[in-house]
Amino acid sequence: MPDVEFRGVHRRFGPVRAVDGVSFAITKGSFHSFLGPSGCGKTTSLRLIAGFEQPDEGDVLVAGVGMGGVPAYRRPVNMVFQHYALFPHLDVFANVAFGLRQRSPRPTRAELGRRVDEALALVRLAGYGDRRAWELSGGQQQRVALARALINRPTVLLLDEPLSALDRKLRRDMQFELQTLQRDVGITFILVTHDQEEALSMSDSVAIMRDGRIVQFGAPNELYDAPVNRYVAGFVGETNFLAGRVVERQDDRASVRLDDGRVLAAPLSAGGPGLAVGEAAVIAVRPEAIQLWPGGDPAPTPLDQMFEGHIESRIFLGDQIEFAVQGDLGRILARAPKAAISVRGDLVPDTPVRFGWENESALALADV
Amino acid sequence: MKRAGPGRRRAIVTALLLAPSTLWFVALLVMPLVVVLVFSLGERAPAGGYQAGFTFANYLNLPARLTAFTNTLTLAPVGTLLCLVFAYPLAYFLAVKVKRAKLMLLVLVILPFWTSFLLRTYAWIILLSGKGIPSWLAVVGIEGVRLINTPTAVLIGIVYGYLPLMVFPIYVSLERLDKRLLEAAADLYADPIATFRRVTLPLSLPGVVTGCLLVFILLMGEYLIPQLLGGGKVFFIGNALVDLFLQSRNWPFGSAVAIALVVIMIVAVGLATRWAKHQGATREVSLL
Amino acid sequence: MNKREFLYHLRRYQQGSISRRQFLGATGLGVASAVLATELGLRPRRAFAGDIGDRVSLCTWPSYHDPANLEVFTQATGATVEMTVFGSNEEMMAKLQAGAAGYDVLVPTNYTIRDYASQNLIQPLDLAQIPNHDPSAHDTRFTGEGAVDGTVYAVPKDWGTTGYVINSSEVTEGPTTWKEFWDLTQTTHSGRVMVHDYQLTTIGNALKYYGYSFNSIDAAELAKAEELLLAVKPHLFGINSDYKPSMLSGDAIMSICWTGDAVQLRRENAAMQYVLGREGGEIWTDFYAIPADAPNVKGAYALIDYLVTPDINAKEVLFHGYPSTDARTNALLPKELLEDPILYPAAEVLAPLEFGATGLITNEARAELFARFKSA
Ligand SMILES: Nc1ncnc2c1ncn2[C@@H]1O[C@H](COP(=O)(O)OP(=O)(O)OP(=O)(O)O)[C@@H](O)[C@H]1O
Ligand SMILES: [Mg+2]
Repeated sequence: MPDVEFRGVHRRFGPVRAVDGVSFAITKGSFHSFLGPSGCGKTTSLRLIAGFEQPDEGDVLVAGVGMGGVPAYRRPVNMVFQHYALFPHLDVFANVAFGLRQRSPRPTRAELGRRVDEALALVRLAGYGDRRAWELSGGQQQRVALARALINRPTVLLLDEPLSALDRKLRRDMQFELQTLQRDVGITFILVTHDQEEALSMSDSVAIMRDGRIVQFGAPNELYDAPVNRYVAGFVGETNFLAGRVVERQDDRASVRLDDGRVLAAPLSAGGPGLAVGEAAVIAVRPEAIQLWPGGDPAPTPLDQMFEGHIESRIFLGDQIEFAVQGDLGRILARAPKAAISVRGDLVPDTPVRFGWENESALALADV
Repeated sequence: MKRAGPGRRRAIVTALLLAPSTLWFVALLVMPLVVVLVFSLGERAPAGGYQAGFTFANYLNLPARLTAFTNTLTLAPVGTLLCLVFAYPLAYFLAVKVKRAKLMLLVLVILPFWTSFLLRTYAWIILLSGKGIPSWLAVVGIEGVRLINTPTAVLIGIVYGYLPLMVFPIYVSLERLDKRLLEAAADLYADPIATFRRVTLPLSLPGVVTGCLLVFILLMGEYLIPQLLGGGKVFFIGNALVDLFLQSRNWPFGSAVAIALVVIMIVAVGLATRWAKHQGATREVSLL
Repeated sequence: MNKREFLYHLRRYQQGSISRRQFLGATGLGVASAVLATELGLRPRRAFAGDIGDRVSLCTWPSYHDPANLEVFTQATGATVEMTVFGSNEEMMAKLQAGAAGYDVLVPTNYTIRDYASQNLIQPLDLAQIPNHDPSAHDTRFTGEGAVDGTVYAVPKDWGTTGYVINSSEVTEGPTTWKEFWDLTQTTHSGRVMVHDYQLTTIGNALKYYGYSFNSIDAAELAKAEELLLAVKPHLFGINSDYKPSMLSGDAIMSICWTGDAVQLRRENAAMQYVLGREGGEIWTDFYAIPADAPNVKGAYALIDYLVTPDINAKEVLFHGYPSTDARTNALLPKELLEDPILYPAAEVLAPLEFGATGLITNEARAELFARFKSA
């Protein structure tokens, strides 16, 4: 049974359709993420689950139960707010203990103290109990908010960008903690984030949203390998898009004429709709699918597509190096593992290069 | 030293900037108080007024106005409490519930202030006298109710007159309250009552304390409402003062009464602020 | 307070629905004079300012002068009349005691004149400068109150009495004495009687219960009066000089009352009857006097002389409704006014009345007694 389910849910604010006919089901005990640009309706979706918003149309179900008419304080759901919403008149301890104190039976003093300490230790804030919320840094406040929700062991935990204020290292640690925790306690986590890496790395399922609708719902690898359109592909990882129109369609592939007249062929995305001839489309090529070699050299392996250009810049991305190549196709990004490239010390800016890819590693996508 | 250091110069500038308000403060607040203090130790001149002297007789005579003190010290707190009871829901409604016509409703709250206080209190004289509310009550079978010239009438006048003074500070503190905190409380299983008790009320406490102090302090000196709605039968310290200064013109005794009033107010306000600070400092504010 | 509001209060006062003191509390003195001056068109006209200066400051009671009269005065002399109104003689005296009040003409009540004179707050009058005042046209009973040890400090303006008003449809016992007034208060009409918030009349008439002088300052007699007042207090509907609204609404059915108020109450409700207690009580006269430190003495004389002129004074009487002390003025008044028993009581009821005695206004014993009564 799904833990959280939307059935044709609409929520409008005047002319704004914050959530516009959304249906999905999130499996019990899974880690789900909402991903999308600012204002696409992520927070509103969470608020519909938490009970701070009521759907104008459609139904929200938690643990199989319709939530129509169930007030927020009766829902087995807790939320980590985007803006923390810590109680300024209470210290950290009382903030974290707030939820438990509302439950009946009320835990004993000792039990309460033990569980608050536990929750604070989990978010690395042991010993901060008697601080005031406003005495803490943004990251610390965010972790208090996390502890305040986690301590209640809800059926569903809603996290609205819970890690946005943390530095990279702490963020990684907390991501790890969240994942471990989620696996250990088996609650359903629903995370809202701007950060695609975070969404893809942590989640069992991801919903990509746009203007109040879900554009694609699926496992991270599905979204990565089979995006339904350019929008999704652009969201999950860096991609080169070459725009044009479909000029030819076979079963599972399409040929697209670029604006400069070139015709490129690529397979259709497994998740995408069939492209019709004449339709606007893009050829999407991931930077890691592009091979790159010095201009004078022959191709290391024969490739379906080959072009010329020169290196514009190179950027170290830790274990990888990213090149920006200016050439026949405009500006193209290519990426290679450091180990493979480091020997080619001659690929510096302004070096003439050739590059190319195999048609099979590219995708033809609807240009929306 | 050749020139004043920047720190010193800044101090001088600060002093200069503060000078007018300090002078104002001394002239308006401290000096009259000193005069009153000196008067309170003097004697009544044979024809009324003040005559130099040094005696504590005026203070020893304070029990002669015991009723005025007890009246004031019971009706002022009760009046303040009643104001609070009426003002809080109103302020809450305006700050939290009202979305659209907020400004208009706020104006409505202060609208009565645009006409003179006396005029409005006169309306109450008419409402509370025999041909007003009591006669309407008689129609529905409740006979013999007397309102005008009773403590009840005075309390009604107090609530009516001072309500806006209580509404506004509470409104401001509720308006400033982050509505997301209410959602956070609901998210943490607090029903509306618990949310109010554990979040809204503690966070609006500064407004409540401000409003109560404001109303209480003003009520301690009130004389017009008891005069008009109490018909001389409900006597406040303010009325005793008016009589002493304007009628019997026993300025020294009046001064002693005034000093006693000031002392009572300072003590009351001191206790209230200490209590409020204490509330703010404790880990968990629980009022109810 | 704006002009409209002020005028509202003024009208109310004139219609008798608020008392002097409340009028004062509502308006504030400074505003009162300022607004009156402009409202009545009495702006200084320097071009016409004659030798009496361009302004005369009059310190008086509310609605005590016909604005039209003052306007004529200003047009004739070029001097604006700046009016300041007070709530009680006590307040008026307090203001003058404070010094440099800047008033040119004062309207004190008889019993305060000796106190003003002994404190050198008013100056002896040069009657030659008030040619329109004719002492022989006034009963010596009135003029006598304006002189202190043979020196004239004030000339009489009008007079009245203090009795009590009953709503005869409810007070059917037909009381004629102060004893009945106080007894009925404590018995049949408990809770429906009012007394003045004014020591002179309330204590004075309590003294009358025992047949003592209205003016007594005898400790034993005052003790008896206090005993009576404290016993009566729980039975009172109110202690308030603004008794007309309560009388008219029916909340109160009996109250200590002044001449002018009785006339106004009767106009509203024919059942209202004015009783002068047979034991006696108060008769009073208001006077014109000039403060010792008056900035414009010439102007003061000019204004007084103008206001006591019989035809002007007759207009004043029609405006304020109190009987004049001046026979020449009375000759100009309508007959029904002169025959009104409230305004001009019969000689035998007038006889036992006493003028408020000198010193009462500053008497500490009476002031304290009254304060105890009020705060009891
Ligand atoms: N209470 C509200 N009243 C009016 N409009 C609202 C309200 N709440 C949300 N909206 C609108 O609905 C749309 C979706 O808002 P939402 O907060 O869900 O976005 P979001 O995806 O969480 O954005 P962000 O990433 O910036 O937090 C926005 O256009 C927003 O302006
Ligand atoms: Mg959001």
